[in-house]
Amino acid sequence: MKITELFAKKTFVLTSEVGPVKGCVRETEASPSSPFLDEANLVKSCVHAVNVTDNQSAVMRLGSLAGSVKLKERGIEPIYQITCRDRNRIALQSELLTACSLGIDNVLILTGDHTTLGDHVSAKPVFDLDSVQLLKIANGMNNGRDMMGNQLTPPPQFAMGAVVNPNSNPLELQLIKMEKKIKAGAEFFQTQAVYDPKVFETFIKQTEGFGVPVQVGLVLIKSAKMAKFMNEKISGITVPDSWVKRLEGVPAGKAKDVCVEMTSEFLREVAPMCQGVHFMPLGWSDVVPRIIESAIK
Amino acid sequence: MIGTARKPMEEILQALDGYDKITVMGCNGCAKACKTGGEVEVDDMVKALNEAGKSVVWQVTPERTCYIQHTTGSLQGHEKEISSTDAFLVLGCGGAAQVARQAFDEMGMIMPVKIGLNSVGHLDTVIAGQLAIEQCQECGDCVLNETGGICPVTKCAKSLLNGPCGGAQDGKCEVDPARDCAWALIYDRLKALGELDKLKIYREPKDYGKSNKPRTLVIG
Repeated sequence: MKITELFAKKTFVLTSEVGPVKGCVRETEASPSSPFLDEANLVKSCVHAVNVTDNQSAVMRLGSLAGSVKLKERGIEPIYQITCRDRNRIALQSELLTACSLGIDNVLILTGDHTTLGDHVSAKPVFDLDSVQLLKIANGMNNGRDMMGNQLTPPPQFAMGAVVNPNSNPLELQLIKMEKKIKAGAEFFQTQAVYDPKVFETFIKQTEGFGVPVQVGLVLIKSAKMAKFMNEKISGITVPDSWVKRLEGVPAGKAKDVCVEMTSEFLREVAPMCQGVHFMPLGWSDVVPRIIESAIK
Repeated sequence: MIGTARKPMEEILQALDGYDKITVMGCNGCAKACKTGGEVEVDDMVKALNEAGKSVVWQVTPERTCYIQHTTGSLQGHEKEISSTDAFLVLGCGGAAQVARQAFDEMGMIMPVKIGLNSVGHLDTVIAGQLAIEQCQECGDCVLNETGGICPVTKCAKSLLNGPCGGAQDGKCEVDPARDCAWALIYDRLKALGELDKLKIYREPKDYGKSNKPRTLVIG
């Protein structure tokens, strides 16, 4: 199922992210599941699709295509993420043809975190293409041609998503790139994590005329320590002091309750401004249904 | 210029293992500017080799060691020193060392040529005598006319051509927060020039065929 069909029907689209494991997903009689599949199962009944990240944070793991196919086999609609960091233009186009052949309908195209941020810092970063170029090429492939104009028989048929960062400063620069992505073929957007309704409102007001659905992105904040870490170490994300203060001194046993409470308050405020929510639970997939229950339904 | 940094002495001595009589060849071009291979640094290397028990036969610092005519010219008239040398140690870039090897080949000699420096890039001196940074990677397809004179291929860690990644924050790069985001610089520059429209133009994937190695340039 293409996620764009839901947006077309004005469905408020809910997605959540699952990171592939450092290892394989291979079910045996002795070990019939894996943490990767278990996590996806926690959100299966409450979201429309599940994003599978591509070596997220440049940390080498199971590939996002294998992860996406595993989800599809279990009746969970995957959004296959593909970045420009590790493959050149030949490999990227080939990978898209492979993805379509394996039943993938949704692809989210990103630049990718730099190699130096991950666990293989001496790797050669590729970045042969950027995200705008790959979107345009994928769009061309949907229309039957590879980037050199050669015919694809039959061509893939993807719903194509992209990302945007509402926290970015200057925002105008980010908006110019967003428009380029739309022209290149992006049909829906998932945002970087936002925590300040005002920041999101400013962003959304400036994108109203763009005519593409936007899902607000949310990394679940588990503790004051994590919030501070994100502010210091994760580029492009800002967690307001009000969130940090509210989490300070909260015992571990209550942290999920506070997370549900704060996230729900935020979502009730921003949900009317956008067309969906994209959760990045980072291991707290069990919290996602509680937030949806509290804030959306 | 070609930036160079000296190899650790231990590595240099390992490369010279088995060769006792050494000639040190510097370069009065880029390596002089980098303070790695000018006459001063050649003197220092001669002292260090002597202290390490090597016998330094001769020292020479051509004008630009990567120009074959300079290197060949500097060797002429020194046949005696050359014939009593076991190995040359070049304090120059990788190109200088290879041109030196070519010079001996053309003289019909099989001379071991070792290198004492690591080449670290095509760098521009932005603070005289103090700091050089990489701003151009000779891609063969210059985009400076469209980007306000700031190269995203080199100055953006991901060589992005259509704007910044989502990791840039407050004008700084996700790879190194001490470094400016190239696209923030380009944005400021184009805004000041009244040319922000140029940012909206879609930039095609680069033709990396133009930088396939090794490249040649027919000068005349």
